[in-house]
Amino acid sequence: MLLRLAWRNILFYKGRSLATFLLTFCAALLLIFYAALMQGSHRTMLHSNLGIYTGALQLQHQRYQEEGGSEHLIFGAAHWVDLLRRTPEVTAVSARLETVGIAASRLASGAVVLTGVDFSAEADLSALQKALKSGVYASEGLCLYVGSDLARKLEVGLHDELSFIGSAPDRGFVAERFEVCGIFKTGLYDFDLNYAFLNRAAFDTLFRTHDTASVIAVALDDPLHAEAIGARIAPLLEPHLRLYPWQELLEDLLQMLSLDKIFGYVSLGLFFLVIFFVVMIYSFINVSSRIKTFGMLRSIGMRQRQIDIVLLLETLILSLGALALAAPLGGFLAAWFELHPIIIEGIAENYKSYGIVSDAMPTCFDPASILRQSALILLLNLLSILYPIGYLRRFSPTEAMRHV
Amino acid sequence: MRILSLILCCFAALYGLDAAGIIAKVEENLRGEQVYLRMSMRIVTQRHERTLQLESWSQGKKRSFVRINHPPMERGITFLNLEGQMWQYVPRIERTIKIPPSMMLQSWMGSDISNDDIVRQSSLTEDYDARIVEHNGSVALIELIPKPDASVVWGKVLSRIDTERFVALEERFYDEEGTLVRTFSFDAVKRFGRYHLPTRWEIRPQAYPHNRTTLLLEEVDYDTPIDEAYFTKSALTRFAR
Repeated sequence: MLLRLAWRNILFYKGRSLATFLLTFCAALLLIFYAALMQGSHRTMLHSNLGIYTGALQLQHQRYQEEGGSEHLIFGAAHWVDLLRRTPEVTAVSARLETVGIAASRLASGAVVLTGVDFSAEADLSALQKALKSGVYASEGLCLYVGSDLARKLEVGLHDELSFIGSAPDRGFVAERFEVCGIFKTGLYDFDLNYAFLNRAAFDTLFRTHDTASVIAVALDDPLHAEAIGARIAPLLEPHLRLYPWQELLEDLLQMLSLDKIFGYVSLGLFFLVIFFVVMIYSFINVSSRIKTFGMLRSIGMRQRQIDIVLLLETLILSLGALALAAPLGGFLAAWFELHPIIIEGIAENYKSYGIVSDAMPTCFDPASILRQSALILLLNLLSILYPIGYLRRFSPTEAMRHV
Repeated sequence: MRILSLILCCFAALYGLDAAGIIAKVEENLRGEQVYLRMSMRIVTQRHERTLQLESWSQGKKRSFVRINHPPMERGITFLNLEGQMWQYVPRIERTIKIPPSMMLQSWMGSDISNDDIVRQSSLTEDYDARIVEHNGSVALIELIPKPDASVVWGKVLSRIDTERFVALEERFYDEEGTLVRTFSFDAVKRFGRYHLPTRWEIRPQAYPHNRTTLLLEEVDYDTPIDEAYFTKSALTRFAR
């Protein structure tokens, strides 16, 4: 009976019902889409950082991460590469040896992280090969694969000469002239600005190294399990070695994403505060205009509690109706723009230092997230009717019937 | 009583003068007016060992020229120190590099001495106040504290000196917090004309107990005139080969 009464009230007060319905619908749609966009952009930033170079796990000397230095390299790297490759969840492994030095062209100079890599192993693990912009990816001899921003900074192009000065792990001096044979652009600004790669054979000859790595990067079939897999492999490692999961390696990025999420929800929260008060005011006006009616209902024997339930049911029906439309539509938009990302020209250039590597801004279709956002809207709407109910409770049946 | 006070004052004055005088004499022994050195530098780390062979020409405190002769990868690298500024020429890439002040504390050629050690050898007498801490027979322990306005690297240097031959036996370098950073040990003192010079120097950094750098002076020639051409920028390329 109460449900029927609530339904009839909704149909009778069409204007109020439509306004509440539309407000709820728009708010839910906006929240679902905004959350999907935020989740999508964060996921893209994370995947870019993970997939471009970092890998899901990195094996390092425990002191290399903080101190660096030739004393903290991994010696006998092949053994650890084999061990990691034998782990079932591991899809690719690459041993890298990094050194920092000064690179100089005829016109400019700057710091560079010169890294000796096995180009074929890197092709399976990182996005280095896919990031090839010009020239060749895997070269031999004294040929460098240089980041596009580094090439621009040093004012070099393909086949130009680049001098390098640095030191070898044995602390010896290293100076050599290279040819720029390939230029890559991953979109990760810091990476493209600082890194240059050299094939491992030439690197080992030049730097007098053998079977040595500063970092052994590991790709997993599911990076979300990195911590668990790392913990499982850890007992097999020598005490001075440690497997760092990407959550630790990209700690700064994760913190930045969390902060961004908080700011996003705070700014959205202000918007929802406005929506909440608008819905509440509409409900309040509606209840105020019906006080006489509620007084009559009380006088013919209806209890205040039943009237409260009728008002709650009205809001519930309107909210569920709006959500029944908004959630699928929001879900559809999230799914559509996940497959066909929104392109915002220039966003990657403007926000490159934040790890945004592409102008494409995909959303993320996540049913659990859609349910969460819908539940939040429903809760807000139900809360918005509490004040009008409280206001109505102040009137006795007689006062209510005399209310004009 | 007055005589005792006078004696104490004389001792204090004498000790104050002695400390600076001793350091000055040690530096004079080290450099002469001009000196040519041929030496080998053995650099040992936990996993690696390498030996450089080099020659050095220096005139007084402010001018010096160094050439690396071995190993082949580093052969021909030259360094020029003029009035506290330092240049390096790398023949492999045919470039002359001015070592900026920010790199002065960097290791020199991967050893345990820094670029600053090469350039600012005179700073012990100019930038530090010296005081004798202990005098035991012919060996004095001298504490060197930076002068208030001196821009120096070390917070304190303790130098143990043979005051008969005026050669350093050991030098300990402390940072501003008073933590020992590295130790220089000197031995195999030989006489070259009127100068005494330790011909074996060992440098041990405190932070890396496995590391050490040993300098062996193989040929020393004091006060034979050195061609002025060594102390020009063109020398970097000219004498690289």
